[in-house]
Amino acid sequence: MTVTTLVAPATARTRAVAGWARKAPFALFWLLVAAILLLPILLFLLVAFSPRLFDQGTQWFALSSFQGAFQGPMLQGIADTLLIGVVTAALSAIVGFAVAWIVQRTRVPGRRLWSGCMFALLLVPSYLIALGWERLLEPSGVLDLLHVPDSVARGLLFGPVGVIGVLTVKGIPFAYLAISAGLRGLGEEFEAAVRVHGGGRWSVTRTVAALLAPAIWSSLAIVFAESISDFGVASTLANDAHFPVATFELYSAVDNFPVQFPVAAAVGWILLAMAGLALLAQHAALRNRSYRVLGGRARPARRRELSRPGTIGTLAAMVLLFMLCLGVPTFGAISASLMTGLGTLEGGANFSFGNYTRALTSPALYQPLEYSALLATITATVTVLIGLVVARLLTSRHGRRSARMLDLLLITAVALPGIVFAAGYIFTYNLPIVNDAGIHLYMTTTLLVLAYIATSLPAASRVLFGSVGQVQESLREASRVHGSNAAGSWLRVMLPLLARPLLSAWSLTFGGTLLELPVSQLLYPPNDPTVSVGIERALSTYDYAGGTAMEVIAVLAALAVIGLVWGIFQLVAPAGWRRLGRTS
Amino acid sequence: MNSWTRRPAFGAAVAGALALGTLAGCSSSSNASSVSGGSGDVTLVVYSSQGYDSAVTKAFTKATGIPVSLDDDSTGPLLAKVGAERNNPQWGLLWVDGDTAFATLDKEGQLLDYNPGVTLTSAGETLVPSDHAYSPVSTTAVPALIYNAAKVTAVPKTWQDLLGAAYKDKVGMNDPSQSGPTYPLIAGLMNELGGESGGVAAGEKYLSELKANGLQVHPTNGDTLHALETGQIDYGLIQSSAAAGEVATAKKSANYDPKVVYLGTTTLLPGVIGIDKGASAKVQQEAEKFVQYVLSAAGQAVMQTGDPTGDSLYWPIVPGIEPVKDIGTMPATYQRIDPSYWGPLETQVNTYFDENIK
Repeated sequence: MTVTTLVAPATARTRAVAGWARKAPFALFWLLVAAILLLPILLFLLVAFSPRLFDQGTQWFALSSFQGAFQGPMLQGIADTLLIGVVTAALSAIVGFAVAWIVQRTRVPGRRLWSGCMFALLLVPSYLIALGWERLLEPSGVLDLLHVPDSVARGLLFGPVGVIGVLTVKGIPFAYLAISAGLRGLGEEFEAAVRVHGGGRWSVTRTVAALLAPAIWSSLAIVFAESISDFGVASTLANDAHFPVATFELYSAVDNFPVQFPVAAAVGWILLAMAGLALLAQHAALRNRSYRVLGGRARPARRRELSRPGTIGTLAAMVLLFMLCLGVPTFGAISASLMTGLGTLEGGANFSFGNYTRALTSPALYQPLEYSALLATITATVTVLIGLVVARLLTSRHGRRSARMLDLLLITAVALPGIVFAAGYIFTYNLPIVNDAGIHLYMTTTLLVLAYIATSLPAASRVLFGSVGQVQESLREASRVHGSNAAGSWLRVMLPLLARPLLSAWSLTFGGTLLELPVSQLLYPPNDPTVSVGIERALSTYDYAGGTAMEVIAVLAALAVIGLVWGIFQLVAPAGWRRLGRTS
Repeated sequence: MNSWTRRPAFGAAVAGALALGTLAGCSSSSNASSVSGGSGDVTLVVYSSQGYDSAVTKAFTKATGIPVSLDDDSTGPLLAKVGAERNNPQWGLLWVDGDTAFATLDKEGQLLDYNPGVTLTSAGETLVPSDHAYSPVSTTAVPALIYNAAKVTAVPKTWQDLLGAAYKDKVGMNDPSQSGPTYPLIAGLMNELGGESGGVAAGEKYLSELKANGLQVHPTNGDTLHALETGQIDYGLIQSSAAAGEVATAKKSANYDPKVVYLGTTTLLPGVIGIDKGASAKVQQEAEKFVQYVLSAAGQAVMQTGDPTGDSLYWPIVPGIEPVKDIGTMPATYQRIDPSYWGPLETQVNTYFDENIK
């Protein structure tokens, strides 16, 4: 009896400790999410209602900031933005699905090249794509010099068609990554079942598309949110075409003096509402359905042999697609980087590699690149780890409410343009009360990295979302039954299945962070400019050639690092890891 | 089951976050109150958009021993930061082109009054505010009219000339909501055409006529120059330093030969330094020393060599300092617009431009 009474409290304590240990990581996770996402976004958006809160006006409560958002060019900008978001998301999903299918399910030549091109496309900033097209079609541009009639194409480029086209090009890799991750985990048995029951190609495509619904909706939501918050095209092509979009109006409110944060926050609310609608559509489409197709009995799909005309046709389509998506901006960037002056293509152009030599030998130019590469490595690694947790939460059958909240928060982070997000970080981490609490993060590398993580987390977790959602619980349960502990079962079962998507998410985050501008611009620590700030500085002081040379070098560096990481994976990872998720 | 299986991932995420904190904690950080080792000087945080600021801050530290943290960026993001930091400013000193923003900051009580006691040229004296809330240290002008002499022979002398048939579809300028020097350009145009009382209406009328004559609007100085080089326009209205830099560096050819003229009364656009009123006394003393240094012969020499094809192309306002060769002579007829009058009109004028001229 005595023994029992002594043991009982000890057991209770042990249970309490175990319970705490189980809950602590959750608490820490939500604390991190609150610190890097919830608070900065919330405090920024609050300024729309309460300008006085951060000394941005005299009123504690006002709705006047919304009045400006619903009139004149601002209202037109909102309507244009909605149109851009919907059309871009749909087009990107269609093209992304087609490319993913061709690369994953056919024996079309150059599959690795096409897949590599998608990553390259992911790294090209949207304004560079716009610049490439402008260079081609502007008056006295390349086509004019070659005497190719281009007035119709020019009219289309400098208008809604051009803006949507360039944003679709930027959206395709997001759609491709999300859909191909889902397609990779989808074995052939479903297609076989349709065929056994007499279904033709169309039925197969419909069935596959239905089974890939989470990945497709994920791609629609992410491309929609990315497009409505894009500033690269808004400030170049859309602005040149006098096609107002909401992000540009929002930036104008922040970037002009007197700075109007309340108006910017009001536009932020509107972008947020648009993203919320996208998310509602996603939830309505996927509600109460299971898409867990990857289990122990899943068989990898075979690649289809195309007929000769089919191969030629597919190959031609792929070459054309990447010429349009990558060839044109590459041409624009390289031609600009090789020229001295501001890039005239007429007789006086002076081509030289001097700008590259300058970029590679000047510490003011290469030190930011080293610094950004370090930050991008840290960001990508941490983001992928957190992204995995997020994807697990979003696809879990438990805790639907918290998952929905998290999803809303992530899509909000995408839908809010970077500069607004950065301002939210200043509001939060420069608060006197935060400083008084001993937290001095503003103007440090730590805060910059936290902001990078926050802005890249949505895209990374959505890349993982498709794959994580496909893994059936039975796989890990089987591993546990056979004696593995939690960590062991995760490492032996989950990691091999998710290694490729994890690397994809890492590459995406690394590339995106290396050239990130809006957050870097407001949050970089003094004396330590990032490479994007360095490039922006060079461009704003009319050193177009030097700035563009740095840009080309940075994109090449990103590709080299990503190539190296995938190369190491191919050499070092066990054969099973490399085989899993591949088609035979 | 789920809570168990999630744990490794959570653990990894938390470990990752901690590792991040450790790694990032090793990196540099600074704020206005950080103290440098031993000397008793605190770090002076400088927000600047000047192309030569890196050279000047290094030279200042070398000359005085005062450590400086430099946040170098375009004017827009810098002023956005200043705005976002309003309830807890981190900057010690702000240095950008144009005094309209400073007039507003002064009105909001954010600037320390400071008179450096340095005699300036007559042009420089016109730029000094009566309460010494900020210090002009150099000047450029808006607009400089840059034109391609290889393609056109007509050279305008006044704003009215640009409305003529010879200039139809050939004139370009920047967008004031994207280009810092362009609002002062438009405000100067309005001030010249109708003064403070009728300037806005007269300026809007003129701009609409210029648009009817085919005015093209490009985002910034660089874009307008690109349009000039590629033949989209033959005349560009931009900031004098950008125009002088283009003339000095562009490769001349049978198709391209840029030259610069000034129209009527040109508006001075000063390079201005303001000191944060909320900074500590020590930081304010250091900022005052910085202003003194920038106005000294040594400081001016660094400014004139720090960005030779860009911001170094300014007209000095300190007597005895000659401008660099490439900038040319300062226009004889110039005006200074009152920033406390024109500053608050910036949003209204830019909105008009956005809705009607772009």
